Amino acid sequence: MLDVRDVRAGYGDVQVLFGVSVAVAAGEIVALVGPNGAGKTTLLRAIVGLLPLRRGSVSWEGRPIHAAPAHSIVEQGIALVPEGRRLFARMTLEENLLLGAFAPRALGGRREGLERVFEIFPRLAERRRQLAGSLSGGEQQMVAIGRALMSRPRLLLLDEPSLGLAPRVVEGILEVLRQIHRDGVGVFLVEQNVQASLALADRGYVLENGRISGAGSGHDLLRDPHVRQAYLGPLAMDR
Amino acid sequence: MPGAALLHRPGASELRWAAVVLAAFGSLALLPLVVRRDDVLNFGVVFFLSVTLAQSWNLMAGYAGQVNLGHAAFFGLGALVTRALWIQGAPILPAMGVGAVVATVFGWLVGLPAFRLRGAYFAIGTLALAEILRITVGNSLPEISTLPAATIAGYSLTRRFYLTLVLAALAVATVAGTAASRVGLGMRAIREDEAAAEASGVGALRHKLLALSLSTLLAGLAGGAFAYYHISYYPQHPFGPQWTFDALLITFIGGAGTLHGPVLGALFYVFLKEYLAIRWVDLHLLIFGVLFVAIVLLLPGGLVEVFGRVRGRPRLTNP
Repeated sequence: MLDVRDVRAGYGDVQVLFGVSVAVAAGEIVALVGPNGAGKTTLLRAIVGLLPLRRGSVSWEGRPIHAAPAHSIVEQGIALVPEGRRLFARMTLEENLLLGAFAPRALGGRREGLERVFEIFPRLAERRRQLAGSLSGGEQQMVAIGRALMSRPRLLLLDEPSLGLAPRVVEGILEVLRQIHRDGVGVFLVEQNVQASLALADRGYVLENGRISGAGSGHDLLRDPHVRQAYLGPLAMDR
Repeated sequence: MPGAALLHRPGASELRWAAVVLAAFGSLALLPLVVRRDDVLNFGVVFFLSVTLAQSWNLMAGYAGQVNLGHAAFFGLGALVTRALWIQGAPILPAMGVGAVVATVFGWLVGLPAFRLRGAYFAIGTLALAEILRITVGNSLPEISTLPAATIAGYSLTRRFYLTLVLAALAVATVAGTAASRVGLGMRAIREDEAAAEASGVGALRHKLLALSLSTLLAGLAGGAFAYYHISYYPQHPFGPQWTFDALLITFIGGAGTLHGPVLGALFYVFLKEYLAIRWVDLHLLIFGVLFVAIVLLLPGGLVEVFGRVRGRPRLTNP
């Protein structure tokens, strides 16, 4: 479904990605793990058209999309939950969700979309008229995911959805990802929470210094000595 | 939660306030029938022009988040073109229309290149455009522009009053209509976070150009009304930076990104400026500056914050 091949990208003089290839098949959950500064966010920005590629290609259902402007990517069925939520802070929760359905593909289903999001996150329904900037971190992450779901995506890209959240909230978010996956939506999850994301994923990639350094099923990667040592540490032995 | 019911859908607050403001303007339409004093009508013209200019600036900065530091360019172009056509015999309304279109075309000249880049390019580009135009007009048209004697003989202040009233109502309706529309939602998203807006499917360039077009059209029309109103002025005068800063100050004093803010701001600003100018001729600008700083410090959301019910309304704290 999504096919990223040999992508090189960066900012100014700084090259961040040195030929990264990843793929997500229909209905799959794929995790991308790696340390800070490895280029995880850069890769997502490149996929959704917020950052131009220097080389390589991003294809969606066999068609290249890397030359298309960012706002047209969501129309193709790919939605991003950006790092740090990036909500529209001085707009209401509901307005944030409605903006998720801005693309023509989702416009007609706005009402059902809202109902669906409030079904998944009941807490949001009672806060729909609050300014997004006034919500708690967990609620903001729910809005960010809800906003992306409003576009009726076929592939959901998530950038560190667990960042800065309490473990219980993270567990809730992961459960929602499972639910979204059961609805047939592909999930590409970028996480520093290696244990949880690889346990959830069908497949995983390890990104280090702008290169893919490991790939395999989530299960195999969790047992990989390098991954265990670098990301899970001695505590992982207990699990 | 008080105020929660205010926002049933995007722009609901704007539509409500537009109804209030337009009703108030409607009652002001009776003013020339009961008051025959020129000073009152002149005050009305200045107020309505200020509302129009401030709303046009507000649409760009308060809603779409694009700070225009050369708004006078569009006001000035509207005035220049309208005056030339009108004095040569064209009817005033078509002349104003042409002036507004010319203003919009110049807006695109800055907007098209500047909007492709983020950051201060648009603010600097508009500032430069306004100054270049002001100096060029000053050099090429150094003579004062005075209406022909026949026009002065038939001059009707009441007509100017109604023209500017309709224009201010048009500006209010435009901002309310935009705020309540899908494109208005997109504009506000761009103001909040352009990359996140793009990632949600909002075409930033298209939305910014639309906001700019509406804004410059209104500013050009306001300039045309100015050209129709003033008997004599230097052609470069409406290009002066004070027009930009009037619009900016009124918007911030009243409340950027709200519909009623710039209306309240214009009322406050025009009253105070006139009053201070009469009372303290030499010091009035200084006093005004101090007052402005005080308002921004005490009421960062503008006068509309006093209403208390404005929670939930966006405000522009870091343009």
